[in-house]
Amino acid sequence: MKQIAARIAWSVGLILAVIVMCFSLVHLAPGDAALVIAGDSGAGDPELIEQIREDLGLDDPYLVQLSRYVGDVASGDFGTSYRFNEPVTSLIGDRIWPTILLVTTALLFAIVIGVLVGVFTARRPESPVSHGVTVFSLVGYSMPVFWTGYLLIIGFASNVRWFPVAGMRDVRFEGNRFEEWLDIAHHLVLPALTLGLIYLAQYSRLSRASMLEVLQSDYVRTARAKGLAERKVVYKHALRNAVIPVITIAGLQFGALLSGALLVETVFNWPGLGRLAADSVFQRDAPVLLGVLICSAVLVVVINILTDVVYRMIDPRIRVGGSS
Amino acid sequence: MAAAQPELGSPGRQALRMFLRNRAAVFGLVLLSGIVLMTLFGSFFYDQDPTRIIARPLQGPGEDGAPAFGTDYLGRDVLAGVVNGGSTSLTVALVAVFLVVVIGVTIGALAGYYGGWIDTLLMRFTEVFQVLPALLFAMVIVALFEPSTRTVAIAIGLASWPGTARLTRAEFLRLKNLEFVKAARAVGASDFRIIWRVIFPNALPPLIVSITLIMGAAILFESGLAFLGLGDPNAQSWGQMIGLNRQTFLNGWWTVTFPGLAIFSTVLSFSLIGDGLQDAFNPKLRGR
Amino acid sequence: MEPLLSVRDLTVTFGSFTAVDGVSFDLHEGQTLAVVGESGSGKSVTALSIMRLVELGTRGKIENGEILFRQPGGEVIDLVQQREDDMRKIRGNAISMIFQEPLTSLNPVYPVGDQVAEAVMLHQGLEKAEAAERVLEMFRLVRIPEPEKRMVQYPHEMSGGMRQRVMIAMALSCDPKVLIADEPTTALDVTIQAQILGLMRDLREQTGAAVLIITHDMGVVAEVADDVVVMNRAKVVEHGPAVDIFENPAEPYTQALLASVPRLGSMQGRSEPAPFELVEYDS
Repeated sequence: MKQIAARIAWSVGLILAVIVMCFSLVHLAPGDAALVIAGDSGAGDPELIEQIREDLGLDDPYLVQLSRYVGDVASGDFGTSYRFNEPVTSLIGDRIWPTILLVTTALLFAIVIGVLVGVFTARRPESPVSHGVTVFSLVGYSMPVFWTGYLLIIGFASNVRWFPVAGMRDVRFEGNRFEEWLDIAHHLVLPALTLGLIYLAQYSRLSRASMLEVLQSDYVRTARAKGLAERKVVYKHALRNAVIPVITIAGLQFGALLSGALLVETVFNWPGLGRLAADSVFQRDAPVLLGVLICSAVLVVVINILTDVVYRMIDPRIRVGGSS
Repeated sequence: MAAAQPELGSPGRQALRMFLRNRAAVFGLVLLSGIVLMTLFGSFFYDQDPTRIIARPLQGPGEDGAPAFGTDYLGRDVLAGVVNGGSTSLTVALVAVFLVVVIGVTIGALAGYYGGWIDTLLMRFTEVFQVLPALLFAMVIVALFEPSTRTVAIAIGLASWPGTARLTRAEFLRLKNLEFVKAARAVGASDFRIIWRVIFPNALPPLIVSITLIMGAAILFESGLAFLGLGDPNAQSWGQMIGLNRQTFLNGWWTVTFPGLAIFSTVLSFSLIGDGLQDAFNPKLRGR
Repeated sequence: MEPLLSVRDLTVTFGSFTAVDGVSFDLHEGQTLAVVGESGSGKSVTALSIMRLVELGTRGKIENGEILFRQPGGEVIDLVQQREDDMRKIRGNAISMIFQEPLTSLNPVYPVGDQVAEAVMLHQGLEKAEAAERVLEMFRLVRIPEPEKRMVQYPHEMSGGMRQRVMIAMALSCDPKVLIADEPTTALDVTIQAQILGLMRDLREQTGAAVLIITHDMGVVAEVADDVVVMNRAKVVEHGPAVDIFENPAEPYTQALLASVPRLGSMQGRSEPAPFELVEYDS
């Protein structure tokens, strides 16, 4: 508990550092925010530009602007989008849930199926399926995720119309809450599969290696010597030890998973943070970009803490803080 | 200082032999050579301007008058794009990986070697970069600065070094207390010499494996940015081709399939080589 | 009297390598039989074969031979011919085993009490609460101090000696007829070794289980064994009562094994122990 508390305290500092760094980056960037806000029509009007500069305090010293931004963010205010002219906080609030839905579905899919494949193949290390896992992991890792998305659309949404091509909801949709969820789930299948496949490929290989090692361990031999059925030896004694590295890696890779989600959201027109960022990039909509960056970092940090908690639940050796 | 010699003699040769006996790794090497040759010299053999409109848009492969890989949404030759699109990706990846190595190895080596507050400080700094999703971070850099090939390479480098820093640090932590390092210290070698001439060469095998895999990751990274439309609009690349055709791909599967296949093959070749190197340096882990 | 366990002409191979070659010996009720030899002599594989664990978890294969076991009911069965399901009812029940490495032989992610209770619940069909009672009783039997507190601890919270006591408690929890101990003290401190050996000797008297102890240490043999089987390079080279073997070892290999046990005063006039003499033994 104490370690977790310390971890949370450190994470707050980490987020603060992220905010400072990202803000400074934006500050360093060339170009005039006032010009961006004024848009094509207003850019020729020096009075308007001056007005905007004053309103946003763009002429204040860097440190004044920075502390103002940090203070605003701390109170949940990420500023106003140049492009949508809407509070960034509400834009992100709308878009963060689809991203979380997409990412967690993909991650759970990858971990659960990956571990099952790993267990299955570790028990038959010489089988063709087991060798297939190595090939599959290399192929899965090497496919650009947006390309996988298009191939899946061509395969399952265009040629056979099992799944919708894009979006999160059917625009013509009518029905109750349950049917609404079903509709979203139906739209979720292909994007989550696209994103999950890369990690499924990696986690299958990782769990197979980890399971192979655990199955050779002395405590598995003890479990067998006790007379336990092989099913119980594998799923009770070996599995729990074998998933530890998978959980560790999955936690570490969460940032990469979010990056992948950004591309998948673009492919499937999924209304998440990634699309918001991709849409804001060309408008140089700095408040939105900053907000998305910071919120993603917060997500990563939260997931890291959750991983830590799960890890401690699975492996009692960590609980006492020992490094054995 | 004889103890400080890097393991390049017979263990290196042994690793090379193991590598060459690995069929998948050799296939990766051949595949990569093919792609590099195509990128360097392909346009001499397939002399078609990838930016020129040569036929009706969205003509499929095999259709009358269409080029081998069909035409894109504007009527440009997809095969010409595939042949010419690799140079941006490969150049960007090379520059980015160079940056990753310079930043990552330096930070990791200093943190691992000195330990203490230097280690704490450098690793906390690394963590700041690690919690930012790399692609998003790079995207923001490219968008806010200038959309040029150089910015893209720098952005990828800046977003990708933390993993290398951690790996280097771990290797330095492992190696710094071994006998040959103590011996070098005992004869009065400077810290600089111990870090770069004594420990670093011995940390190379895992670094080489990881750098090979980062090459592949950088290619994926570049193609992702290009796909989103970030980068020099005039620098043709495979990712950009897929991005430009994304509104019309349902009417022409070939417009996204072939450029994607090119990215996939390039990354796969690096993965296979990296895997082969891993096995060659570490025979005990084979097949895992 | 008919033996409790009779290994006859056992041959075990790993691919083209023969790890155990035509090994035979008997184990009688209440007896402690030591199988001695260096590492690689095939003694551990013999033990794993009796548990039928060579084909489960290692790539070994029982090529030939019988392992006859007289069940508590009196019926004699050949363990080599048992199906895996039937074998499971015997493992940890009528025949149980403890291993060399108490450090790694317990599952790091479960409390030790649960790991012992698992065997009891499986073989004796006890409910959780009853099983916990039984675990407490076993922990007291193997003289684990503060058993209630120890039960809920994880292996990494215990010393090597305590963990080995837990392993012994687990092995004895279902009143086995045969206890196989594979180098039970090798990984332990010398003082702890003596305690564990003493404990095993007492327990044999209390429970009446026959003990098959696998070791390379003639000191351990002298401490506990009634009979001795000496193995070298997959074969039995000498077999007889411990007293005879110690007084009159017939084989040069056995003599060398005995010579490797340091005697008090044997280092007089030397700065370090004498090197072990290697004996080439032609089979």
